Amino acid sequence: MTPLREAVFLPLALLTVAFLGGLDPGTDVPWTTPTLFSLVMAVLLLAAFVRSGTLAPDRLLHGERPVIANANGALVLAALFAGSAQLVTMLTPRSGLPLLIGGVVLFLLLVNTLVVSPDRVRLLRSLGVVIGSAFILKFIVLAALADPEGSRTKRVILALFDAATLGTIAQAPVHPAAGYIAFFMCILYLIAVAMLPGSHARGQALELRHKDIEVSTRRSV
Amino acid sequence: MREGLVRGTGLVLTIAYASAIVWIYARQPDTFAQVRGGLASTMGAYSIDEQSFADALALFRREQFDAARAAFARADPAARDARTQFYIAYSYYRQGWHRLYRDDQLFTEGLKTVDKAIALAPDRRLLVEDPELTMHTADELRAELEAGLKRDAADFNPLRVFDTRK
Repeated sequence: MTPLREAVFLPLALLTVAFLGGLDPGTDVPWTTPTLFSLVMAVLLLAAFVRSGTLAPDRLLHGERPVIANANGALVLAALFAGSAQLVTMLTPRSGLPLLIGGVVLFLLLVNTLVVSPDRVRLLRSLGVVIGSAFILKFIVLAALADPEGSRTKRVILALFDAATLGTIAQAPVHPAAGYIAFFMCILYLIAVAMLPGSHARGQALELRHKDIEVSTRRSV
Repeated sequence: MREGLVRGTGLVLTIAYASAIVWIYARQPDTFAQVRGGLASTMGAYSIDEQSFADALALFRREQFDAARAAFARADPAARDARTQFYIAYSYYRQGWHRLYRDDQLFTEGLKTVDKAIALAPDRRLLVEDPELTMHTADELRAELEAGLKRDAADFNPLRVFDTRK
C-alpha cells in the first residue's frame, strides 16, 4: 500500500463518511452523533473486515514500522471505526417499527457474515448488498411514505396507511438533499473499505477453504 | 524523505480534519455563516454588524418584529452574539403576547433563542441595559416565555386580561 493511500486518502475518505454520515439537514440538531447500536455494529464490522482478510491490522500497526507510519495506521483504524458507526447511523431508520426491524436485520446479517467467515471479495459483495438495501429502504421506500408533498389522493392513501399501521411505520420527512448525501457516502465508504490493506495469507487461506468446500459439495452431489 | 513528507502531511491534515468535525458536532451550526462565525469567535475575532443592529433595534421599537428579526439575523449571521439573540427572543415574546392568549409557536421559538443567548453569555449571565425594555435579564425573559407556554388553572383566570406586556 502506498503512503499516499494510507496517510491521506483512507483517513480523509473515512472521516468524510463520519462527518457527512451524521448530517441530518433541515432538523433542529443537524449533526447526529452515532447511537450505541451503531458503535456495536461498527465493532462487528471491523471484526468482519479482519476475519475476512479485508483488513490486516498488522499492516497498519506494527513494531517494525516507523512511529509516523504507525500513527497514520492508527488514524486509519480510528477513522474506519468512526465512519462505520456513522454509516450505520445514517442507514438506520429514525423511529418506529422500521428502526427496530432495520436494526435487528442489520445485526443478524453482520453476525451471519462473521460466522460464515467469507473472503475479501465475498465480504465486499455482501457489504455492498447490505448497504444498498438499507439505503433503498430508508431513503427511497420510507422517504416516499413520509413525503408531505404530492396529490390529495396520495396524501389520503398515506394517511390511511399511517392510521392502519398505528403510526409505527411513518417517519419524519427526509430533506431532499439527505438521500444524495447518503448515496455518495455509501459509495465513498465502499471504495475506502475496498482500498484497505488486506491480509493476503488470510485471503488465500479462505479462498482455498471455499474451493475445498465447493469441490467436496460437488463430489457429494 | 518523500514518504516521510507524505505521511507527515497526511497526519496533520487528518488531525485538523478530525478536530474540525468534532468542533462542528459540538457546536451544531446550521449554516456556513455559523461555521465561519463560530471559528471567528473561537479566535476572538467575531463582531456583529453595528449598522444592521441599529436598524433592527429601530424596527423592534416600532413593533415590526418580523423585519426586526431579519435585520438582527443580518447583524449576527453566525448567531454568536448573546445581546442580539436576546433581542430576537424578546421580539418573539412581544409578537406572541396577546391579551387573551399567548402564541405557542412564537413563544417556543423565543425560548429556544433565549436559551441560545444564555449559552453564549459569559458565565451564562446576560444583562441588557435598555430603558425601553421591561425585562433586562435573559433569566427574566426565559421565565416569562416558559410561563406563557405552561398550561394550568391560572390560564382560566379572567383577571389575566389585565396583565401587561413586558
